[in-house]
Amino acid sequence: MRKATVTTAATAAGVILLLSLKPHQNPAPAMTAPSPASSSGTGAASTSPSTTHAPGGTSGTFTGSVINTAYGPVQVSVTLSHGRITKVTALRTPSDRPRSQQIAASAVPQLTREALSAQSAHIDAVSGATYTSEGYTRSLQSALDKAGV
Amino acid sequence: MTSTIPQVPAMTGPSRSAPRPPSPVPALAHLLIWGGAAAVLALWWSDTTSVVGAAGWFTGAGRITGLLAGYACAVLLLLMARVPLLDRAVGTDRLARWHAMGGRYTVSLASAHVLLIIWGYSLESHTGVVDQTTTLVLHYPDLLKGTIGYLLFLMTALVSARTVRRRVAYETWHFLHFATYLAVFLVFGHQLSNGADFTGNRPAQLAWYTLYTGVAALLAWYRFAVPARRAMRHRLYVAEVRPEAPGVVSVYLSGSGLEGLRAEPGQFFRWRFLTRGMWWAANPYSLSAAPHPAYLRITVKASGGHSTALARLVPGTRVLAEGPYGAFTARRRRARKTLLLGGGVGITPLRTLFETLPGEVTLIYRARRPEDLALRGEIDALAAARGAAVHYVVDEPAVYSSPLTPEALRGLVPDLAERDVYLCGPPGMTEAAVTALRGAGVPRRRIHHESFAF
Repeated sequence: MRKATVTTAATAAGVILLLSLKPHQNPAPAMTAPSPASSSGTGAASTSPSTTHAPGGTSGTFTGSVINTAYGPVQVSVTLSHGRITKVTALRTPSDRPRSQQIAASAVPQLTREALSAQSAHIDAVSGATYTSEGYTRSLQSALDKAGV
Repeated sequence: MTSTIPQVPAMTGPSRSAPRPPSPVPALAHLLIWGGAAAVLALWWSDTTSVVGAAGWFTGAGRITGLLAGYACAVLLLLMARVPLLDRAVGTDRLARWHAMGGRYTVSLASAHVLLIIWGYSLESHTGVVDQTTTLVLHYPDLLKGTIGYLLFLMTALVSARTVRRRVAYETWHFLHFATYLAVFLVFGHQLSNGADFTGNRPAQLAWYTLYTGVAALLAWYRFAVPARRAMRHRLYVAEVRPEAPGVVSVYLSGSGLEGLRAEPGQFFRWRFLTRGMWWAANPYSLSAAPHPAYLRITVKASGGHSTALARLVPGTRVLAEGPYGAFTARRRRARKTLLLGGGVGITPLRTLFETLPGEVTLIYRARRPEDLALRGEIDALAAARGAAVHYVVDEPAVYSSPLTPEALRGLVPDLAERDVYLCGPPGMTEAAVTALRGAGVPRRRIHHESFAF
């Protein structure tokens, strides 16, 4: 019985030690300069239906490039009104596995909230959704670039 | 009452009079096993960038325990694959003990993994634990199978618990234990399809496949192919059943090309007698005489359904013998003098070693009463032939009894501390003997013992 207690304690200590040695903040999402080569998606759409260059800022909806992550593609579109981000829509999120769907379902609203308050794509990744966050921010940035913001 | 000692010299191969250095295999085996575990942890380490929030901690711990449990399953199977190198150098009983300890640990790891992942995922997705469990089991790839596999592991662990094992026949327990094969098969899929550290990591996936297919190949070869081939080549059958003492019989087995089995004195086989009521069990019994070109002999005491049935075996019955197994051989010797210490039915491998071990050998044979001293006539003849000393110790009459204490042992064998000791007997006796031997100054590395309490 004593051996069992010692082994359990040692294992728990080992696991906790391993976990504690890792950083406890989200890494900043990798922000590369948007280039066609970085998003190797099929049919990377880039439509901008209604762009009104009205004085006071850009308005319209801009679709970002498809970012391929390890779990699947991510694509967002951003709606601007007079230069302000008013809406971000996730057009594609990783949906291959139930786990990815679960993650996207909880991460995307959070990322959208952050984007709206930051009014840019420089937002923190959501913990547990590293790939989705990275895809989201890069796709968002490419959409904003298209909008010229 | 005395059995004949074979006139043909026993085939034990060139006997080395000088003891060998200890085998490096057990240490290497340890190194490989722990090294593999470290590699698995390194996989987690290299794949994880950060651990954020309570969900991150729980999920991370769940992944670590899951990886270790998956690795441990492969190791556990490998330990039981009857690989000759491991069996000869580490010993069948020691491998079985490692497997038993490792098995308990692995089921605990798997249980921790299950709970940690459920909790971690629930925190991450802000769902309830019950909801999360249902989602996992029903909607994640390979997880329904994985759940069934895990439940089979739990069942195995329960049946192996000491309280349950005492009430369950060995054959029943052994049969149920084979469910672990199915369990490992069922849980394998979910590791690769859900394991975060395997996603997009081709080398890791490849390594995992290699590990498992390698172990499966070894199992198929050494547990099934080799025994089957041997059975066809040697065609063993029961030649004679001879009573030795009340409740003790010797079974002589014949076949063709028995030298090809290369059995060493002290080893055992797992015997499957192809007759009604016995064909579904392969029970281990040691050879009780040195391997002979014409026959193999086992001597068994009736203490259970199977051993009692042996006395009723009909000559001509076909036998499948898996083996030889065991590291309880002359290879383990370190000193030039040896003490053979046996109790009850443990005398069988010792009787074989008494016949063949080179150098100076003393035998202490403990039993309850003089009638229980099976093979006594043979042992006396062997002792006379090689000029060795034999001490018979019985509990009754008390005048011939001698306790298992350092002083009593030294009284019988004054130079005990310089000898190798081969120990074989019922678990209670061997425990007491090890304590007494250590107390008398015999270093642990010179106490060789084989227990049949798998």
